[in-house]
Amino acid sequence: MAGVGFQRWVRTLSKGKISGISGLLPACRSGEILTYFPINIGEIAAAAKKYNIRVEDYKPIADNGEGYGDYPQLPDRSQQDRDPAYQWDHPDLRRNWNEPMHWDFDMFIRNRVDTSPTVVPWSTMCKQLFGFVGFMLFMFYLGDKFPAYQPVGPKQFPYNNLHLERGGSPDVEPEEVKNYEI
Amino acid sequence: MADYREAPLATRPKTLDPNEYFNLSPDYRRAEAERAALRAGLKRQYQLQLNNPHRKELIEDPALNRWVYARANPYNHFKATKKTSLLGALFGVAPLFILYYVFKTDRVRSFNWMCAGLWVC
Repeated sequence: MAGVGFQRWVRTLSKGKISGISGLLPACRSGEILTYFPINIGEIAAAAKKYNIRVEDYKPIADNGEGYGDYPQLPDRSQQDRDPAYQWDHPDLRRNWNEPMHWDFDMFIRNRVDTSPTVVPWSTMCKQLFGFVGFMLFMFYLGDKFPAYQPVGPKQFPYNNLHLERGGSPDVEPEEVKNYEI
Repeated sequence: MADYREAPLATRPKTLDPNEYFNLSPDYRRAEAERAALRAGLKRQYQLQLNNPHRKELIEDPALNRWVYARANPYNHFKATKKTSLLGALFGVAPLFILYYVFKTDRVRSFNWMCAGLWVC
């Protein structure tokens, strides 16, 4: 593909010299920045060495053009999932110094997403939750469609259907309204 | 240990992984030894820096620097593929037109209702 050839040409041109703002950062000068997706064995070995991973274990995130570069794909386990009894260098993060960080590390901290195993399987949880919610929604829908209440009639008012209160004149004799039966 | 079951809400600890006891193939053992050697090397580096009495500055974490740089500069490695173009269109372009259409229609309709005297708040 033409894209790959162009990338390699760019890579060989830019090897070693990093200009611009990136040149000022100490990580960039020591060659530790995110580089391009590795293509040949040499680049894979260099990337594995850079990230302190075994060459056999190193697997870059798939090259979908989503901007990962050569960052390794680490297992998607949260920090809560790690052994609490081991002596970590940073116990609150459950991480050792210079250990390769997951791309979504800030998502996997103990305050946030947790991949620990659940007491019941995921399918059971889904069935229970959606079953209950669905059942309640259905019942409320039925209750709305078929309302159940005491039989009612129109409201009855005293004083000849409130003849005076409704603005009727006191001189005019209102018609007798009988709202009862004895 | 054969009948050990994981505690609820916890993964099986590495020391109780059956591979540690039953997988005695040299390749697997060598791989585990290499991984342990890498980890031990990093631990050693950290401890040397931590307990160095002449150290005056903070201990810099290269993995953290790499991660921060990687998260801050994905656009250098961006490629316009089908998936990225679709996502960009879906989240960047479509909402503009959809929201414009929705708000405009709603405003126009309520304005007409108000003019006709039908608007009931």
